[in-house]
Amino acid sequence: MNHLSRRQMLHTASCGFGYLAMSGIASAATADLTARAPRLRAKAQRVIFLNMGGGPAQMDTFDYKPQVGKKPHAGSIAEFKRRGQSGLWVSELLPNIARHADKLCVLNAMTADTSIHAQSMLQLHTGDRLRPCPSMGSWVAYGLGTENMNLPGFISFNTAKPAEYSAAQLPSVFGGTPIGVNGEDMSKATISNIYSDHLPMSVKRRQLDLIQAMNRDHLNVRADDAQLEGVIQTMELGFRMQAAAPDLLDLSQESKTTLERYRVGKNFAAGTCKASDFGRQCLLARRFCEAGVRFIEITHGSWDQHTDHRRDLTANCATTDAPIAALLDDLDERGLLEDTLVVWGGEFGRPGLTPGQDKDQTGHQHRAFTFWMAGGGVKAGHVHGSTDETGSNPVDGKVHFRDLHATILHLLGLDHENLAVVSGGRRIRLTGLQGGSVVREILA
Amino acid sequence: MRRSSSPASSLPHIVSLFWLLVGISVNAADMTAEQRSFFESKIRPVLVKQCYECHSQEAKKLGGKLLLDAPSEMIAGGESGPAMIPGKPDESLIVQALRYDGLEMPPKKRLPEQVVNDFITWVKMGAPDPRVDAPKSAKKAVTTDKAALWSYQPVTNPRVPLVRNKEWPRHAIDSFVLAKLEAKSLSPTKDAAPEMLIRRVYFDLIGLPPSAGEVSAFVSRHLSFQQVVDELLESPHFGERWGRHWLDVARYAESNGNDGLSRNPSFPHAWRYRDYVIRAFNEDMPYDRFITEQIAGDLLPADSEAQRDRQLIATGFLAIGAKPAKAMNDNFEMDVVADQIGVIGHGIMGLSVGCARCHDHKTDPIPTRDYYALAGIFKSTETLWGAAAHQGLTAPQTPLHELKMAAKVAVRPEAEVIISKHEPRRPPAKPAFKYAADTPLAMGVREAKTVVDCKLNIDGESKKLGAPIPRGFLTACGGIDPGIQIDAKQSGRLQLAQWLTSKQHPQTARVMVNRVWQHLFGEGLVRTPDDFGITGERPTHPELLDHLATRFMSEGWSIKRLIRDIVLSRTYQLSSGNGDLQSPEAAENRLSLFGAHRVRRLDAEAVRDAMLAATGDLNPQPGQGSLIQHQNVLINELPPLHQPSTHRSVYLLMLRNSMPPELTPFNLPDAITVAGKRDTSTLATQSLYLLNNAFLVGQSKRFAARLMQVSDDTTTRIEAAYRQAFARKPTDSEMHSARDFIRETDLMLVSTQNDENKRLTDAWAAFCQALLASNELRYVD
Repeated sequence: MNHLSRRQMLHTASCGFGYLAMSGIASAATADLTARAPRLRAKAQRVIFLNMGGGPAQMDTFDYKPQVGKKPHAGSIAEFKRRGQSGLWVSELLPNIARHADKLCVLNAMTADTSIHAQSMLQLHTGDRLRPCPSMGSWVAYGLGTENMNLPGFISFNTAKPAEYSAAQLPSVFGGTPIGVNGEDMSKATISNIYSDHLPMSVKRRQLDLIQAMNRDHLNVRADDAQLEGVIQTMELGFRMQAAAPDLLDLSQESKTTLERYRVGKNFAAGTCKASDFGRQCLLARRFCEAGVRFIEITHGSWDQHTDHRRDLTANCATTDAPIAALLDDLDERGLLEDTLVVWGGEFGRPGLTPGQDKDQTGHQHRAFTFWMAGGGVKAGHVHGSTDETGSNPVDGKVHFRDLHATILHLLGLDHENLAVVSGGRRIRLTGLQGGSVVREILA
Repeated sequence: MRRSSSPASSLPHIVSLFWLLVGISVNAADMTAEQRSFFESKIRPVLVKQCYECHSQEAKKLGGKLLLDAPSEMIAGGESGPAMIPGKPDESLIVQALRYDGLEMPPKKRLPEQVVNDFITWVKMGAPDPRVDAPKSAKKAVTTDKAALWSYQPVTNPRVPLVRNKEWPRHAIDSFVLAKLEAKSLSPTKDAAPEMLIRRVYFDLIGLPPSAGEVSAFVSRHLSFQQVVDELLESPHFGERWGRHWLDVARYAESNGNDGLSRNPSFPHAWRYRDYVIRAFNEDMPYDRFITEQIAGDLLPADSEAQRDRQLIATGFLAIGAKPAKAMNDNFEMDVVADQIGVIGHGIMGLSVGCARCHDHKTDPIPTRDYYALAGIFKSTETLWGAAAHQGLTAPQTPLHELKMAAKVAVRPEAEVIISKHEPRRPPAKPAFKYAADTPLAMGVREAKTVVDCKLNIDGESKKLGAPIPRGFLTACGGIDPGIQIDAKQSGRLQLAQWLTSKQHPQTARVMVNRVWQHLFGEGLVRTPDDFGITGERPTHPELLDHLATRFMSEGWSIKRLIRDIVLSRTYQLSSGNGDLQSPEAAENRLSLFGAHRVRRLDAEAVRDAMLAATGDLNPQPGQGSLIQHQNVLINELPPLHQPSTHRSVYLLMLRNSMPPELTPFNLPDAITVAGKRDTSTLATQSLYLLNNAFLVGQSKRFAARLMQVSDDTTTRIEAAYRQAFARKPTDSEMHSARDFIRETDLMLVSTQNDENKRLTDAWAAFCQALLASNELRYVD
């Protein structure tokens, strides 16, 4: 057949590292997830993304905006204190995270393009707010492979939409494996069909070989269909997951103290704050992280506090504070924090409450909001970026999602300029056409 | 998605510097000196100091699109309607706002009583105003670019284009497609082989694979393609396939889904709407009639009780939506209305009308006024969702339509066993509406007791009311029969249906022909089937879209004729082979211009149905009723209710947030919003389903048991298995692999299974599972 296969196409389009990653797949279908050394010097080996969906109120968590001047203005309603050696401002609503202030690198001048939830959420995940593009986790798994061949490189807990963990134009095997889709009970969420004893493993393996042979025959007469190639790889991955995932998902061997520290099963629901068993998610994130998964996303998607701001804010903080602190404790204690990058934030933030108005209401604000990172090569006890006195606009150190993406990839030793694929004549990368800049000021 | 907060409350505080802007000259000749002095001393300073910050040309962010810095603008008003009616203080929004009566302005603090009284006096005087109208800014501008607003332009009937390769087209559709290909110097790929084509058209038209006999009848030319197509269009399975596509649009489900307080009440009668839709497709009900019955079936005359029943059931379309909890939700009633406007907007017109609930649409020409003109229609309509599990916090109980001729159905024992074991966590309220046991009931709508225009909800808050908006339709779709007038005593649903199905409506026909095209090709002519607005994609073949829409309407809105036209085109009958082009860009272009067919994964229902067909377990009879019929329960408090079934997937229990586990791995929609296009992502969890799921394992065993009956000979069994699963013979190498597999598996099982017969059955079952799990079963060319 006289045509360029997709593999050849990726080769000739030679997008630097993108091609290197692909060549691993081309050599053998089973080698697709193999760990590979990044091009640049890496500080971090993996990422835990604490996805705070809905738009957390930055002025009541990390960006302290007390009343200044004569005229009252929008600002923080929560009390703040300086914490640790660094003197970082952290809200009293987050007493446990506050213990870790000296580990945090707070980005107070994050900025996004839109205040539409779905679009901004998609842009945070994929770099593009409209068209389907590979998710950040897929890029990381694609760039680095996995440290554990029996697990996917990217696991996504409690995400709202498949588009947020999709491999899109990347090979399907780099797509996120969802645990608990939106609305599911996160206390029970698991990987469906992970276990069955209807056949011994040896026969299952033999059976998979037969399926794969049939699938390859089917593919061979259909030119070069990326979709069908993707199925072959994910069949293999699914098979291997049976060996590792059931034990990882089983928390029965964890001590009572640990379950207590993470507040596993301690669900808290009030107003917008829905039960997400965030404690279980945090503990599972630690376990998957230890097992070598590259990118783990866990989600508490309840921060869209419009009415009853105070009540819902308190609930959202209370439900996430202790679990996150326990996760940071454990990562630190096990030496994992050194090469694990923890990222906290949502699709945008919120304006403060209007002063003098007896309303407990906020809206969306995408011009300025907060993210924080910890571990994996970022400065500790550091604040980057600031906003004006009402917290509504960045003053300096503005960081766009594109810059955040570039920085995360950089910390992992990946160059956002070159980590790309060509699909249908279009070159696709996480930082998009415009590209981002690595935020050098926060590199340790 | 929550409503955004009031723009005024999020504005930063800036010092007013607007004196420069205000005109000084006097133009109202009949204004007395006293009146002028009153305005200058009492009114102007207040406007400047208290209002201009958000309501003037200089405002950083204009509040509610209302300008108060020019007399004509005050009367013209903003999103909430006119701010002032001279001479009528009580009807003037500005006075209501100053009084903090429903609307509260200025938002920070109520102004002193004296100031409010001054404004009342001034409006009573007739609002004498010496200010000069400043030139209008672009505050109300939405784009007028016709290309961007393509879907709002009237449907045209374009000439069939001339093509260079005159031999190729068989049908007007082909000329439209070929012309686009030729413009890019591309030509279509080869025609599909008969084996490929027959399998494609079976799945596309009835959602099931052809049997080996049906394949050979076509391949050996005993039947022409046209004969095959006509047979399939008459099959009762046609409605099960195409009805399911519509159920995606109608966000169909049999429970409310999480109401935000984790409660998920059942909809025990929703399945009647499912059956109505399947029947409508089977009977080829004209699409305009289909829409009309779903929106206003209760208002249509009926020749018989049975017809009346059917039309009442049709209105379930407006009642089956997911509702947020009533508890602590002042907007509940308007949330129900929003769902109804949403499903009509996206589902029928391909427009995101819902954006205009809180503010004028940011991109499309849909002002908030239009939203509330539609909202009035539904506010004048009573929605009958039923008992909501008798949990008042979720939704107040409503009556239901009582059916006269429909068969009575009782609770199902399989569900009753599970449900009777569970105590509701919160005692259910007393039923407010009692029906004799087994009364056939249906969800739906009827006219409300009072018919009212809806007051505009400022920022989408039903406690912040603006002016009432006369019931009506979207102004931007213009040009539609002005004779359609809403009667003062009627909700206006019937007229809404007339307006939507008018042949002048620019979107209705286009949206539907595009949906049909997408289900036959894997992509629509517009790739965003639910968004024909500015944020959606433009059509790749605008002329073809209009050609099809025109034909669709002139041929009596017949879906079957439309499908028949398309599948008999040469374009539909192209091969999926697209590997003969040099450059990947050219191949991608050809595919996106329909110069080759797509390899498509079957949707979740068809995957399961194809498996049942392959194993011989499929029960082709329609599934009867629903597992939760006559069960008013909270789904979230119960263990899974799903039961094994061999009926087609469309009849499975479709509960929001608890969909059938046999379907969920393959991208089911959430049934909360209109889902005209399903996702087809490939995930490791799908592999796990294929390897481990109990349904698949069980089906493999039954498949194997059937093969064992066929013959004692391995070769014959393998041939039978391939014929059953793929309607073809195995190749020599496939035969070898299969034989090897059976032999080796049998040996591997020796250590765990002593009984030789059982061991052999297990080996065959493992082989059958491999067939069911292979790509050939799930993909269609």
